[in-house]
Order: sequence, then structure tokens, then C-alpha cells
Amino acid sequence: MQHLADVEVYSVRTLREALELLSSVKGLRVIAGGTDLIVQLKTGVVPKTNLLDVSRVDELRYVRFEDGILRIGALTTFMEIYRSELVRRHAPLLAEAAFTVGSFQIMNKGTIGGNIVNASPAADSLPPLYALNAELKIVGPRGERFVRIQDFYKGYKKLDLMADELVAEVRIRPPGEGYVGHFFKHGLRRGDAIAVVNGAVLLRLSPEGIVRDARVALGAVAPTVVRSPSSERVLVGSRLSPEVMWRAAEAVVNDISPIDDVRGSAAYRRELSVNYVFMTLYRIARETGVVA
Amino acid sequence: MYGLKFPHSARTREIRFVLNGSETSVRVPPGYTLLETLRYVLRMTGTKEGCARGDCGECTVLVDGVPVHACLTLMSQVEGRSVLTVEGIDRQHRLIRAFVEEGAVQCGHCTPGIVVAAYHLLSQVPRPTEEQVREALRGNLCRCTGYVKIIRAVLKAGEA
Ligand SMILES: Cc1cc2nc3c(=O)[nH]c(=O)nc-3n(C[C@H](O)[C@H](O)[C@H](O)COP(=O)(O)OP(=O)(O)OC[C@H]3O[C@@H](n4cnc5c(N)ncnc54)[C@H](O)[C@@H]3O)c2cc1C
Ligand code: FES
Ligand code: FES
Repeated sequence: MQHLADVEVYSVRTLREALELLSSVKGLRVIAGGTDLIVQLKTGVVPKTNLLDVSRVDELRYVRFEDGILRIGALTTFMEIYRSELVRRHAPLLAEAAFTVGSFQIMNKGTIGGNIVNASPAADSLPPLYALNAELKIVGPRGERFVRIQDFYKGYKKLDLMADELVAEVRIRPPGEGYVGHFFKHGLRRGDAIAVVNGAVLLRLSPEGIVRDARVALGAVAPTVVRSPSSERVLVGSRLSPEVMWRAAEAVVNDISPIDDVRGSAAYRRELSVNYVFMTLYRIARETGVVA
Repeated sequence: MYGLKFPHSARTREIRFVLNGSETSVRVPPGYTLLETLRYVLRMTGTKEGCARGDCGECTVLVDGVPVHACLTLMSQVEGRSVLTVEGIDRQHRLIRAFVEEGAVQCGHCTPGIVVAAYHLLSQVPRPTEEQVREALRGNLCRCTGYVKIIRAVLKAGEA
């Protein structure tokens, strides 16, 4: 492992300073919590470059609810997200996912912006953000723009983000009344484990138990996190019976393309995806009294 | 020794922070980690290095009161903050007594990180449940004890 003693670190306190330096100094790389980047720099996965330390830009650390939209600053840590009453009320899926990110030490330092831009297909915040149709606010020298989370990822670690831009905020419009959902994650041990498969299921059910809207998102089974339209199609319009839940769970294999790696084989990931989607649907059906 | 392992470059910076309650100033490269600075510059070796990549929890310290990995914290991120290492915890603290009484230490390499993480838990939740102890320590590996006695020690300190 290499040391970073020869790396220059620019420390800034405001978003304006950060954007100015990103535009004027070539080759700077942003560091937020550093829980991904420090390991990648030290192991040589990412070539050593000078750093722009934004960890103290406090104006990007907040959870707010304004104009019907939940807004999470990019530098908000997973511990802050997990603890936030606003997140628990308006995006409980994301609070569930936040609790599973690494250890408490990682939750205290890892930020949602870092998780998004690091762009691991196994990142735990992403299936909830896909299920919630989240939007990113991106800022740069040309002003601000908004990108839907699905459109932000162009392929494996390929992003709609320029070198002089920062992710500033995550926006979530709460889905509204009648929605129930859960995050799930399979790791190789119970704590501090990267997902072999993770995902989020979010449903809107009528009082009779008919699915009115369905959102099924899966991670670690394709170059990017994916939604499963095949599974969602099986669900919408049907009563959440065990038979429908199985068909919906089995349909996810149409929309994923897992690979073999150190954490599991492609076949294992396919089976986990089906079983976890079924278990999560079943959990929702039980909690809402659709099945006993 | 660190002269070989961690060559100082021309890029040093004066970094001030509060270490275990004392104003401290060190001249280090801002890309040094807090762990490298503690162990190789300040020669405070209570904080251990196991993996240097966030996996083992041995380097756990509190920065502004919350547990983080010193191996994943750059000195630029410590500037102006307050750091607590295992050396800053009173040797007579009930948590440390409980570790001794319960025999929760074997080789001891994981102990400082676990003590710091558990110290923080008890400051937030004075009487934690076993589940809460397990979650708070899920990022701390121990290759010797099998965790049973460690968990018992933290629960015991919580009852005091
Ligand atoms: C031991 C360990 C366990 C882990 N466990 C998990 C886990 O269970 N689940 C999980 O999802 N992740 C896990 N991670 C990965 C990591 O902790 C998370 O991805 C974390 O959210 C990264 O955030 P950060 O602030 O530390 O990012 P950094 O490391 O600071 O940055 C990551 C990348 O994002 C860029 N970046 C950061 N912020 C911005 C911004 N605002 N705008 C533009 N670019 C930006 C950086 O340039 C860098 O390329 C783990 C890591 C470790 C070391
Ligand atoms: S040395 Fe920091 S987590 Fe292992
Ligand atoms: S006592 Fe040896 S690693 Fe824990």
C-alpha cells in the first residue's frame, strides 16, 4: 500500500471555493468522507492525484423537507441519514439502507454523495434511490442542473458528471399515501459486509390488497443498479397472493445480468435476487394484512 | 523508522487539533492519515493498525465525539477538530475494569479500537442491550476471543 504524503490537499469551507478550485486547478479529485477514495488511492486502484477536501463544506450537510421534497445534502453521512426523523418519515427505505452501510465507523464518515459518485453497483443507498425515483442536483461553473438517478449512470462507473462539477443534493419526492416498502441486503456475514445482492421493493396497495404501483430495484446484479420492469408488470393490477409474489420474484431474472466474483457466482446471485424479492414482497403482504 | 516508511515530502502543513483534551500542533503532509500521524509522528502507539483500509476497526478513534477509522482520516480532515484516542480514556474507567475482570483481552491487538467504540456506545446508551453492543462493534474484528467475553464486558460496564 502506498502512502499519500506527496499528495497536495486543498481544504475548502464553502461550495463557491470548491467550484473555483475544481475549475482552476487541473486534475483535482474530490474527497468527502474518504472511505472509498483513501483505500482506492492507497491500493493504486485510482491513480494518485491532488485532492480537494470538501469534508468541511457544511452547507452541503443537511436533511430538509421543503415544498413537498425531501432534500439531503451530498455531504450528509449515513449515520445522520439513519437518525434523521425526516428520512424515516418520508423515505424509510433509505433509512433502512443507511443502517447497513459498513460499520458505525463507516456510517459516521461515509457520505451519500460519495456513495453515489463512487458508483459501485453494490452501493446500498442506490436501490432505495432508484425505487424512490430520486433526483440529483449537480452544480458546476455553468450553474446547476438536475438529473434523475437512473440517468446519472451510463454504464459501469460511467457517470453524467463532469470533472468540474459536484453532486450537491439528493431530492426525493415522497411517494405519498399507501406506499409500503423495504430495503434488503445479503452479505456474506451479518455486519460490515458489502452486498452480494441488495435491493428495494416499494408498493402502493389498495385497501383490498391490489397492487396499484410497484417499484423493484436491485443492486450488485448488473453494471449499474437496475429496476425490474418485468417484475413490476406482474405486480401491478394483481392481488398480492403468494402465487403472484412468486411470479413477480422469478421475473427479476429477465432484467439482471450478474457476474461471478469473489463474493458469489452469477447463479447464486440470480437465486438470491429471486428469493429476496419474494421474501420482501411477502413481508410487505404480511405487514399490510394481505396475507396472514 | 518512519523516515523510510513515510517519507516527508516538501508538502507539509501545520495542522492544529485537540488531542485527548490538549491543544496539539504537528507539521505533517496533509495526505498523512491520522493513524500514521499518531503512530509514527506523535509516537502514540495505543491506536493500532490492522488493515489500514477500514476493515478491522483497530484504529478506531473519536473525532468530534464520533467513532471513525484513523486509517481513513486524512490530517486535512482533522484540522481544528477534537480527537480522542484510547490513551485519553481513564485507566480506572469501569469499561476498562470490566475488560480485565471478564478476561476480554487475549493478544490485545483489537482491544484499543473496541474500547474506544464501546466507550462511545456507553456515552450514548448507558445501558445497552446485547443487540446494541453487537451492532456498535460490528466493525471491530477480534481474531482471538470469539467476542463472547468482549460483549459480556461491555454489558457489565453498562450495568455499573
Ligand atoms: C470497510 C468498508 C465498508 C464499507 N461498507 C459499505 C457498505 O456496506 N455499503 C456501501 O454502500 N458502501 C460501503 N463502503 C463504501 C463507502 O464507505 C461508501 O461508498 C461511502 O458512502 C463513500 O462516501 P465517502 O464520503 O467516504 O466517499 P469518498 O471516498 O470521499 O468519495 C468517493 C468518490 O466520490 C467522489 N465524490 C464524493 N463526494 C462527491 C461530491 N459531492 N460530488 C462529486 N464527487 C464526489 C470522490 O471523488 C470519489 O471518487 C464501505 C467502505 C469501507 C472502507
Ligand atoms: S487499521 Fe483502520 S480499520 Fe483496520
Ligand atoms: S484479543 Fe487478539 S484480536 Fe482480539
